[in-house]
Amino acid sequence: MDESFLQIRSLNKSFGSGEAKQDVLRGMDFTVKKGEFCVLLGPSGSGKSTLLNIIGGIDTPDSGYVSINGDKLEDMTEKQLTLYRRKHLGYVFQMYNLIPNLNVKENIEVGAYLSDDPLDVEEVITTLGLQEHKYKYPNQLSGGQQQRVSIGRAVVKNPDILMCDEPTGALDYKTSKEILALIEDCNSKYGSTVIMVTHNEAIRYMADHVIKLRDGVVRHNDINEVKTPASELEW
Amino acid sequence: MKNPLIRRIPRELISDWHKYLVIIVFLVLMIGLVSGMYVGHDSMLASIEQGKEELKLEDGSFELSKKANPELLTDISTGEMADVRQYYLEKGMEEADSEVSEAIEKELDEQVRNTIEEAVRTQCEAYGITDEDMILDRIDEAVDENYDSAIKEARESDEFTEASDEAYEEAHDAVREAVDDEWDEISEEYGLDDEGFSAVRVSIYEDFYRDESEDVDNDGTKDATVRVFRSDTSIDQASFNEGRAPVTGSEIAIDRMHADNMGISLGDTITVGGKEFTVVGLLSYVHYLTLHESNTDLMFDAFGFDVGMVTPEAFDLLRARIHYNYAYVYETEPADKIEQADTSENFLKSLITQTLVHDNELKSYLPEYLRQASNFAPSDIEGDSSATSILCYILIAVIAFIFAITISNTIDKEASVIGTLRASGYSKNELAFHYMSLPVAVTLIGAVIGNVLGYTAFRGLAVSLYYESYSLPSCHLVWSPTALVKTTVIPLVLMFFINLIVIVKKLQLSPLQFLRHDLTKARHSKARRIPAWSFLRRFRLRVMLQNLPNYVVLIFGVIFIELMMCFAFGLPDSLDHYGSRAPEMIFADYQYMLMGYKDSEGNVIETSESSAERFSAKTLLYPKEAGSFRTGMGSGQDESVTVYGILPDSSYVNMPGELPEKNVYLSSAFMEKFELDTGDTIALHEEYENKTYEFTVYGTIDYEGGIAVFMDQDTFLEVFDKKPDEFTGYFSRNEITDIDEQDIATVITAEDISKVATQLDHSLGGIVNAFKYVLIVLAAALIYLLTKIIIERNERPISMVKILGFKNTEIGSLYIIPTAFVVVLCAVAGFAAGYFLMTMVFKVFMLKMDGYFSYYMRTSSMILSVGYLLFGYLAVSVVDYIRIRRIPLNEALKNME
Repeated sequence: MDESFLQIRSLNKSFGSGEAKQDVLRGMDFTVKKGEFCVLLGPSGSGKSTLLNIIGGIDTPDSGYVSINGDKLEDMTEKQLTLYRRKHLGYVFQMYNLIPNLNVKENIEVGAYLSDDPLDVEEVITTLGLQEHKYKYPNQLSGGQQQRVSIGRAVVKNPDILMCDEPTGALDYKTSKEILALIEDCNSKYGSTVIMVTHNEAIRYMADHVIKLRDGVVRHNDINEVKTPASELEW
Repeated sequence: MKNPLIRRIPRELISDWHKYLVIIVFLVLMIGLVSGMYVGHDSMLASIEQGKEELKLEDGSFELSKKANPELLTDISTGEMADVRQYYLEKGMEEADSEVSEAIEKELDEQVRNTIEEAVRTQCEAYGITDEDMILDRIDEAVDENYDSAIKEARESDEFTEASDEAYEEAHDAVREAVDDEWDEISEEYGLDDEGFSAVRVSIYEDFYRDESEDVDNDGTKDATVRVFRSDTSIDQASFNEGRAPVTGSEIAIDRMHADNMGISLGDTITVGGKEFTVVGLLSYVHYLTLHESNTDLMFDAFGFDVGMVTPEAFDLLRARIHYNYAYVYETEPADKIEQADTSENFLKSLITQTLVHDNELKSYLPEYLRQASNFAPSDIEGDSSATSILCYILIAVIAFIFAITISNTIDKEASVIGTLRASGYSKNELAFHYMSLPVAVTLIGAVIGNVLGYTAFRGLAVSLYYESYSLPSCHLVWSPTALVKTTVIPLVLMFFINLIVIVKKLQLSPLQFLRHDLTKARHSKARRIPAWSFLRRFRLRVMLQNLPNYVVLIFGVIFIELMMCFAFGLPDSLDHYGSRAPEMIFADYQYMLMGYKDSEGNVIETSESSAERFSAKTLLYPKEAGSFRTGMGSGQDESVTVYGILPDSSYVNMPGELPEKNVYLSSAFMEKFELDTGDTIALHEEYENKTYEFTVYGTIDYEGGIAVFMDQDTFLEVFDKKPDEFTGYFSRNEITDIDEQDIATVITAEDISKVATQLDHSLGGIVNAFKYVLIVLAAALIYLLTKIIIERNERPISMVKILGFKNTEIGSLYIIPTAFVVVLCAVAGFAAGYFLMTMVFKVFMLKMDGYFSYYMRTSSMILSVGYLLFGYLAVSVVDYIRIRRIPLNEALKNME
């Protein structure tokens, strides 16, 4: 694995000013290897979503930098950042954010369209178990099914990094496990680096790399020698 | 791979089909009408242009008081100015010579007679004859016997030669001196010193006509005036819409539009100048595309005026006086408009001086470029095209803004999706392109269908609209590239840019802001404070504040519609008002203008009609900013003013009090049009001479029928250097039957005053009425689209307040009343603005036209123009209320997406 695939160096970020100023990230440092399943763990307000957004190029740090494959995001123009996200990233959010008047297949194609080397849409649909729903519109699907579509939309791009922001936050236990299993599959099957933000301690066991945050700093930076499959997780 | 987002477009169209249907129908109608207008206009203009060539349109015409002799025509055609100085010298010399010769002859006669008498008396005295009678007889005998030889002898004497030479020379010197003394004045009067003068060579054609009475139903009463031309004229010819030219003495061809208005068909018999004619042709004269009887008429009159063509033989048999009208064509066509004016001015100088030196008189002069009858129609057609397209663009801009607001709302609603797409790598341009596709696609659909209709159904509509008013030649469909550009490219560009600006601005936010629904750039640190009203009132105010951009478009649209309403109601009202007041606007039921105050035998023209009263009148010009509202509309010259000389104690014109010197009364129309006041000084000038008269305004005479000045008869005669018994015509309560038609120049009746109103009403009445209903639909559609946005935007809150237990009526009042308030306020304010603006527009328009009538609106029309709009709104409110009732309770609980 490439040691320097994703580097986070001395990252600082604060919101507000004066007395209301709040430091969200305070000198954060870590590295993620290519193909790694990395979980950013922490309670609410620990800065994990902000960190994810900075890595995703949709937010900027006050100081420090993020570099991917040696390219520093801070040196990129807005256009280059868009291109960076387009070519390298897949996003999954807690809310599914599907396009209401496109069906399942089309919503996944929205992701495929962005990639020079997309995966086969039908294959992704099958992998996600959406075959029988592929012509349904989002409002005809359950939350779990909608999240599958959202993962499909991200994965079909065949991204270098799959960014997941609390992907199971709005789902029940059973569905959450199914979704986690899918992300796990995508990681192993397509080789995408996964960075998942969660506050669910149990999820740490399925990751290669666990970074625990609190008050904007890395409290623990651990590598799991033995991973637990998602299907065996309990919480 | 095709962008999958494209698939949203047709789905969006289908899911909100009623909204897009309204918009597409709207666009199709607007674009279709404008396209039809352009295609129709281009077709008509092409046929008019073709006619100018084929039918030999003049470059101008002039009328002389008597038939020109060949020398005069030859001299005029050289375009050179006549030697006026030489003319005056020769004329003076001639007069002086005749006076001198008369005096010499008288002196010679007296001297010879005296010499003979003296000789006879001497002789008688020598013979002692003293009887005086006998002496006188002898003298007579001697004169008879010797007069001739004595005269001959005297003439041959050196003394006589010397004396007469001296007398002639003295007289000639006196003439030279007089001409020299007055030369400056003469030279200025005719502009003879102009160094920029250059001769304008022309070809001259006779185009004589007679203004005959036309009796359509042969009942013995005059229905119209028909200007009859000969069929063999080689200039200003006619094209035939139906039938053919007359070939026998009892055949006539008349104007197609007039025939249509008066219900005359081919084969009908009409009486012209007391003689019956069969109508064999319906024509369009190239120089009478609109039936303007006089070039200073405010409006043409296709009812009371007609042009016709008869054979030369029939022309000779008609009785009304011949107008010695000559048309001319420049040998070298002026290159542009400025040169056109210069050429015409130079030619006028030649014309004035040549007619003067040939002892003829120039009655009127009209270069073709100022001729309303041939320019009004094409100018109106062109002007209407631009006016219609501007209306169309305004409406398309309104639609574009509605789209922009809708899209802006959609972007708000889809913020999370947009955030996700942007985070996934979609660029702003891709998203902007995506959101732009719908308005552009809808406009394209509207433009395509609109243009197809434009070339088919609407073209006919546009053409028929003009054929209802104008005497145009038949036209054929021409391909109009302008129509395509103006009705497809411009609407698309408008739609594209208005939406692009709004969408690009909206998409400036970062992906994170979209994801967080943080959509306003500058967040208010505190919520806007509002007065401590009741909860419901505050709620409504919040709804209003939330929808301000919608209301801005609504205000703009409503004001625009009210402005149009003021036009649609005000124009017919003003016409009716003017028409109904026509009888009050004439001094006398009949106003006879005579050719001269004496008939051909030199007797003063009298009448036995007891109500007849003499008056004097003269046309002068009041200076105003040169140029027309549009080229060819209005005479394009200074305002023509009729100056009246009125008898003291006149029973027709009431001039209160005696006028101080150089003071005059002005007609109320004159005062109003030029915003004059009592005490102001006005300067009026002659049309063809460089003479100006100054008067002080003493007061107003309530007369709206024309731009007129009044003074007493004696002052008139003095100011204008007239003979003591001179006058211009008669006012009369009854028709005067004992004056020879040859001596009457024109008769003015109430109908002549109201013809403007009648003609305008005929030309515009129908369309203006239809326009009102179009406006209601337009208003309703506009309000429908905008209120739909307001309700769609608030679907979740509406659903939420339903859950909370509000009744539909309460919710309706929360969301409908703010809009109702804005609509009512805008309608009233819009109406006030529209009324004010139309009054101004009318004034500006009238200033450029000849004559005057003011903008007027009935109270009922005022109420209706606001009421119609509110009625349209009421219909929309019902739909809105139904829409609110249908919003489901679970809307508030649904996932945002």
